[in-house]
Amino acid sequence: MNIIEIKGLKKDYPLGNTVVKALRGIDIAVEEGEFMSIVGPSGSGKTTLLNVIGCIDFATEGSVKVGDREITVLNDRQITDIRLNKIGFIFQTFNLIPVLNVIENVEFPLLLMKNQSRTEIRRRADRLIGEVGLTEFAEHRPAELSGGQRQRVAIARALVTNPDIVLADEPTANLDSVTGAAILELMKEMNRIEKTTFVFSTHDANVLKYARRIVKIKDGLLSDN
Amino acid sequence: MMLLVRLSLRNLFRQKRRNVLLGSAMALGIMILIVANSFSHGISDIIFNKIMPYVAGHVAVRFNEKGGVMAEIFRDKARALAAVANEPLIERTDESVGFFMRAIGNGKADNIILVGADTTRGVSKKELKELEESFKMVDGTWKDLETTAVENAAILSTDKARYLNVKKGDVLRIRFRNMFGQDQAARLNVVGIVKNSNIFMQSVVFVEQRRAKDLLGYRSYETASLNLRIKNPQKNSRIIADRIHSRLKPGLAYIQGTVSNKNKEQTVVVFGYKSDDDSKEKFSKKLKITDGTLENALKKNGVVLCRPLARALGAAAGDEISLRYDRKFEPEPARFACKVSAVCEPTEGLGENVVVMNDDKFYNVYYESLPKNDDATPPAYLPKEGDAWYALLSPEWILLKRTANTDEYTKKYKEMGKKKRKSTLIDVSTMYETASDILKLEGVLNLITLSAVLVLFFIILLGVVNTLRMTIRERTREIGTIRAIGMQKNDVRNMFVLETFFLTVFSAAAGVVGGFAVMGLLKQMTFNMSDNPFGMLLVDSHLHFVPTVLGVLGNVLLIVLVAVLTAYFPARRAANLSPANALRHYE
Repeated sequence: MNIIEIKGLKKDYPLGNTVVKALRGIDIAVEEGEFMSIVGPSGSGKTTLLNVIGCIDFATEGSVKVGDREITVLNDRQITDIRLNKIGFIFQTFNLIPVLNVIENVEFPLLLMKNQSRTEIRRRADRLIGEVGLTEFAEHRPAELSGGQRQRVAIARALVTNPDIVLADEPTANLDSVTGAAILELMKEMNRIEKTTFVFSTHDANVLKYARRIVKIKDGLLSDN
Repeated sequence: MMLLVRLSLRNLFRQKRRNVLLGSAMALGIMILIVANSFSHGISDIIFNKIMPYVAGHVAVRFNEKGGVMAEIFRDKARALAAVANEPLIERTDESVGFFMRAIGNGKADNIILVGADTTRGVSKKELKELEESFKMVDGTWKDLETTAVENAAILSTDKARYLNVKKGDVLRIRFRNMFGQDQAARLNVVGIVKNSNIFMQSVVFVEQRRAKDLLGYRSYETASLNLRIKNPQKNSRIIADRIHSRLKPGLAYIQGTVSNKNKEQTVVVFGYKSDDDSKEKFSKKLKITDGTLENALKKNGVVLCRPLARALGAAAGDEISLRYDRKFEPEPARFACKVSAVCEPTEGLGENVVVMNDDKFYNVYYESLPKNDDATPPAYLPKEGDAWYALLSPEWILLKRTANTDEYTKKYKEMGKKKRKSTLIDVSTMYETASDILKLEGVLNLITLSAVLVLFFIILLGVVNTLRMTIRERTREIGTIRAIGMQKNDVRNMFVLETFFLTVFSAAAGVVGGFAVMGLLKQMTFNMSDNPFGMLLVDSHLHFVPTVLGVLGNVLLIVLVAVLTAYFPARRAANLSPANALRHYE
């Protein structure tokens, strides 16, 4: 079953007096539980594609279905709810909330959902922090962690809501090769344990060996699938 | 909500230096506002709680016989007291006995105000504290006023004692014209010296009230104006004043007595007629003169008899008749003689055994010896309210209309001063009317302070907006992250608004604490202003601040509200940022 279905996706950005055509007609479908990589050089449209799939940016044209919902027709509140409930994000620069410690960062999406008790939230966050191997750093603030540790926190935060899809935009770009490999192993492991669909972008050829499916993008168009 | 509160508080402490500086400015503004408001409220407190209640009471029932400013006398004390009796809200009723006079000390003379102090009644702890705040005994005690060992024991202020060159044990001679126009002289024995920082109280010489009344010529059944102290005066003064006012509505003044002429006697009722031009014109239209002249009847000493009465007495115009009647407070009957000015036909609504005389003459007789009328069986022909005669005959007194503020009060007395009054005037007023200008002054002071502080706050709020804009700019990627994770726009907006709210609340708390500390320090300072009118704004030579819970909370709420409103718009702009754009933002 397809968890993501994109047809004829175009995305234009105004840049001064000109319009940048970031995506120029993308058709793609992602099946549930896939571990898929979007590969392409810088400026090829990887991040834009992930942003549109992740409902943090809007398509100029085309159809985008996440789960069974067409997201291009939803309002901001509905879109935000989809982001919260269906999607997890892992950013290249980790994007942890600096004033919250590890466990609070992981709990954050669950607290926004407002449908679980404090005990349940804490139990779920503790389990995920354990799974990413950061139990002893639970009370640390992001500034007190290494890059790899921060990205582990970001992975735990992305998975804590049991999302259908986790989108990772160049998750290893700010990490050394060893740490990056470990993070990808962890994501793969999580994909196996949690059965969550992972879509991640990269321009690093070394990372590709971890992907089960590779989609190549160039100049806003898919060049190989 | 707890998540937002936690995030806001933590973010607030993230930029410590910036927020501490901004918070300090806010705290300073609130501190100034609280100190200034407490000071202006303190002025009102001094005027309304420490001066006016002692000078004029919360409610004053003022009597002025024949409209005379100095003639503060009402001839029927029991009746006056009945008007203020059975009022649980009245804590205390005092006679206001005070009189200007000349005092001669040891080689020096000066004007003083003789004030009667009622030492026979106990004072509450609160009253004693207030008394001691205003008057500190330097020599002697208040109890010494009661001594009978010396004639007219008196206590005066240190300044007056110094000026008159007298000390405890010395004698002061006083000269004055009493309220009946008689020149009087007496001796006061100084039994105490009191220190007072209020320049207006330095001329006051206290004498025990009964003795003061004796000196001024009051009889035991007569009273001076009444000063009333009311429970919760701000709320109840007007209510009590209105109620007393309605109880003091006058009836017609009349004397039931016997008129005799040449061994003939008749029981009569004597009325006064109003002698203002308008009333006299109406009065003359009602009279059908059969003997004497209308001109004489309208003169100051005009006396008019009805023809049947004149016939029964065998009296004609120009004859001297004598009137005798029982007095209300004296055992001996009152007697006086008068000349008949005119005889008239009986008129409808007035009866036949009636003597009508010019109020100028009538009130002289009436007030000097109030008649013992048989109130249970009033004359059958006593005009009722609404009758044509009722409006023309003299009332027991004139009750001045109630007023709402100082302007109306002043206007009322100005109008009163234009007319020559024959009867007693009674005025019921609250201190909030007689001194409403003080309340206005407090309002103006508060407004000036608020305006100054609002300017300060405008500058501070520019700081709030700027700080918030800087904060939002610095945290744009963070906004993008939390929006991407799934925080709704409203929550993002509320998070920033809450940050400003907490900053303002903490600053306000610091400002309140600072304000109280500053007031505490200023209160410690002593100002010697005994020869300066501004000294009255001090309590025991110290500045007086009265912060109120409502005032402090009001100021804090105002500032918090303004700050939150100011923060709302930048916060909303932050919430409306597109998550993708916010995530792309780099400083």
